[in-house]
Amino acid sequence: MIRHDVIVLGAGLAGMRAAIEAKRAGVDVAIISKLHPTRSHSGAAEGGINAALGNATEDSPESHAYDTVKGSDYLGDQDAIEVMCREAPDDIYELEHMGAIFTRASDGKLAQRPFGAAGAPRTVYSADITGHVLIHVLYEQLIKYDIKVYEEFFATKVVVDEGRCAGVIAWDTQKGGLHAIEANHVILATGGVGRMYYGTTNAFACTGDGMSLAWNAGVPLKDMEFMQFHPTTLKSNGVLITEGCRGEGGYLRNKDGERFMVHDAPNAMELASRDVVSRAEWREIADGRGVDGCVMLDLTHLGWKKLKSRLPGSRELAMDYAGVDPIEQPIPVRPGAHYQMGGVDCDIWGETMVPGLWAAGEVACVSVHGANRLGGNSLMETIVFGRRAGQATAERVLEQGDTGARIEPAALADEDRRIAAILNNSEGERPGVLREELAKTMYDKAGVYRTGEALLECQEKVHDLRERAKTLSLDDHSSVFNTDLTTALELLSLLECADCLVTSAVARKESRGAHSRLDFTTRDDDYWLKHTLNWNDGGEVRLDYRPVTITKHQPLARSY
Amino acid sequence: MATIENAHFTTLKGAYDTETMEATVKVRRFNPETGKSRFDTFIVTIPVTATVLDALDAIKDTCDGTLSYRKSCRMSVCGSCGMRVDGGAALACKVPMRKFVEAGHTITVSPMGNLPVIKDLVVDMTPFWDKIRAIKPYLDTKNADTPAKEWRINPADTALIHKESLCILCGCCVSECISMESDPDFLGPAALAKAYRFVGDARDKDTRERLRDLSGAHGIWDCTRCYFCNQRCPKGVDPRDAIAKLGAESFKEGFTSDAGAKHAKVFVDSTFKGGYLRETELVPKTIGPANAIKDIPFALQLARAGKVPNPLSPHKAKDNDEVKRLWKLLEKEAKGQPRRATAVHPDAVQEG
Ligand SMILES: Cc1cc2nc3c(=O)[nH]c(=O)nc-3n(C[C@H](O)[C@H](O)[C@H](O)COP(=O)(O)OP(=O)(O)OC[C@H]3O[C@@H](n4cnc5c(N)ncnc54)[C@H](O)[C@@H]3O)c2cc1C
Ligand code: SF4
Ligand code: SF4
Ligand code: FES
Repeated sequence: MIRHDVIVLGAGLAGMRAAIEAKRAGVDVAIISKLHPTRSHSGAAEGGINAALGNATEDSPESHAYDTVKGSDYLGDQDAIEVMCREAPDDIYELEHMGAIFTRASDGKLAQRPFGAAGAPRTVYSADITGHVLIHVLYEQLIKYDIKVYEEFFATKVVVDEGRCAGVIAWDTQKGGLHAIEANHVILATGGVGRMYYGTTNAFACTGDGMSLAWNAGVPLKDMEFMQFHPTTLKSNGVLITEGCRGEGGYLRNKDGERFMVHDAPNAMELASRDVVSRAEWREIADGRGVDGCVMLDLTHLGWKKLKSRLPGSRELAMDYAGVDPIEQPIPVRPGAHYQMGGVDCDIWGETMVPGLWAAGEVACVSVHGANRLGGNSLMETIVFGRRAGQATAERVLEQGDTGARIEPAALADEDRRIAAILNNSEGERPGVLREELAKTMYDKAGVYRTGEALLECQEKVHDLRERAKTLSLDDHSSVFNTDLTTALELLSLLECADCLVTSAVARKESRGAHSRLDFTTRDDDYWLKHTLNWNDGGEVRLDYRPVTITKHQPLARSY
Repeated sequence: MATIENAHFTTLKGAYDTETMEATVKVRRFNPETGKSRFDTFIVTIPVTATVLDALDAIKDTCDGTLSYRKSCRMSVCGSCGMRVDGGAALACKVPMRKFVEAGHTITVSPMGNLPVIKDLVVDMTPFWDKIRAIKPYLDTKNADTPAKEWRINPADTALIHKESLCILCGCCVSECISMESDPDFLGPAALAKAYRFVGDARDKDTRERLRDLSGAHGIWDCTRCYFCNQRCPKGVDPRDAIAKLGAESFKEGFTSDAGAKHAKVFVDSTFKGGYLRETELVPKTIGPANAIKDIPFALQLARAGKVPNPLSPHKAKDNDEVKRLWKLLEKEAKGQPRRATAVHPDAVQEG
């Protein structure tokens, strides 16, 4: 039996940051990750990371917090938001001391760029590859602190023993076989769940595994109905074209060449907030003013010089994945699922209701994003709350030592039977077929705009798919690097998360942030200023609610 | 908001319409259970915008779920999907299929080279990661008095390591490295590019030790300068250029005792003096006169084949002066470049 003080599940920014902190505090920590650390999707983040350093203009954590509360459509918990905004600057300095290669201003300080809905230029960045730079600097620290990584281990279960988290059961993808890995504390840092949608900016690996693991361990998921859509993603594969294109002066046009944002945000135009632009695009396309299911992101008037010098990455992505050179032709784009504001319910240290089980990063819902996340805040969330979870679990270990929770052989045997049943089955439908049906259903019926009717249809379909997924047909029954098995397991996570999302969305009869219902078009603070909780009730979703923590800012109408 | 009120839609028109094409893909398979390899050919219908990775996904989802390969980001940033496409390493998610289909060409996909194959297109990256670890891949400020805020660095100084900072550790360069093929212990292009990322970093204070280690056995001088790494790198890192920069830096630190370093020095001295490379000087000056004697039989063989110029009549190029002028020009250019970056403690900065 393998045993560590602390296990971190996931090696993206949140997971690595947590592990580094725990290791520095002197406890025995290891990471389990289905991908090599630098392959995590944090590396794809382009724009930047928010902290009120005040390098460009005067700024303060208070003003960062205010913008975040307002952006969240008042659903964010203000105590959590205050923690993040207060601690962000020192975390940025620490990343810089670790070696992060950030873009500098002419005075040699960290440069800061303006981002949507922010009162000051607050976003620290590294050209258009901020996530890449951060994922590599944390990986370097992982090597420096010699932190053990169970690489390409796929966690299939979080084990709870007499009400306490006892560790994790994971499948060794490289060699095959299940392992019980015991720990006093487990930190979930498994990232997002964008793959439940057809159009998504997320990587193949963003399948909500950690959300599903927590849900099955008895922890509720929170605010799952809030999925942020990014307005400029490519039709072919969902790849994100950065907001910077519009920042540099790009236009959005419909099939008649009209800059349709004039109807929605006559002042901000293309630079209105993400939810507003996504909704406008959706309307244009749905009403038949799109081109081949897209609107056009027109950069041709910017000239080749600007495109080559300021937006080289976006040009390359458009050429590789849409087959157009934006110097000559507009890029077809549409909204795509981008970020799950909801996730595993936890407190401001990351602790969940199951003692010994913690969460940080996109998998978690602390909640700092509420109903709508501001660009640049989620990278900061991974660092602040990853560090805090690492620190808190280490303190617990140093105080309490062995919690006594154990993975009984019977628990491993049960899980072995479950996995073997999936692995050996060749009757039923192919996982790929079900995944595509799910993704299209979600994109069509639980997308940018929602109605009660469409959501109910979606829910019915998700239930049907969950039933059909009980027997999946695999071609590969071998043990070495069996990605047929791991994709099947990922499908099961996606389905559970989709059920939570759609069930919450059916119930929430208002429009707030990313959840826009055509049948309930206004925000209803009297009744709906509360978090949704999804409990696992014998495999079905049971809803519950909890008040929002409000400290300083009372809800106001949100206008930009 | 007005738009919500008069709207009546939820689904997108044309969301899933795509123009498709039929592609033929030949894949090298390796079954770890039987230890046997074979080629399989698949015909799949894919969108016209599909990449090689999309084609593999279409195969896996619709006809053969046993096909194994790594993937995650599908946007050339995670470094998972390195493999050989028609014999050269590339990111499968970055190579469009359309041009092959239009040319009526069947592509062949096989695993990367210089790394052991685990299954189908999946290679064991352990030797790759071990080399990354070997170059001490983290910033060492030698306990410099860490400032409360950020180090101050001139933007031009961060630009020195810009290219190296783009590396996604995909292994495409290593797959094609000639030197790695003959010396598996060679640190290789990815690790060396990563090493330059620290040597060139203003905040790192371990430069001398790094250069000493890198100029030893299996280090920078083992590179054959074949440039395949530059050619195959999907991110424009140009590892060979990084190796050249490491060479120049280690010369400055006086690390010239490696045979490779001496070899490079003879090249320079000999062309400067005579405008030509004098091969007969190259060997003794590179490996020392005693070792060179052992190579005499080989030299004679070369001479018989007409490969060695007469050692007794040192030849000089006619336009040697021009060579010298070129040489001076290069030297001047090099001096204009900022070579070592500096990081300044914010306390030491006079705020204006
Ligand atoms: C294209 C794109 C651009 C973005 N740009 C920005 C930006 O500019 N600014 C910003 O603030 N935010 C941005 N975001 C959002 C932000 O990048 C993510 O929310 C954040 O990086 C998530 O980090 P994470 O550590 O929580 O998860 P991830 O980085 O996704 O890591 C998840 C980890 O969990 C592991 N894992 C998952 N499941 C399992 C399992 N079953 N077993 C074992 N391991 C598992 C994976 O291997 C991986 O290591 C962007 C997102 C996308 C998609
Ligand atoms: S140039 Fe050097 S490092 Fe690059 S591939 Fe050739 S031998 Fe390898
Ligand atoms: S140098 Fe280029 S080819 Fe080599 S690992 Fe880095 S990104 Fe890949
Ligand atoms: S899948 Fe990430 S680089 Fe190709």
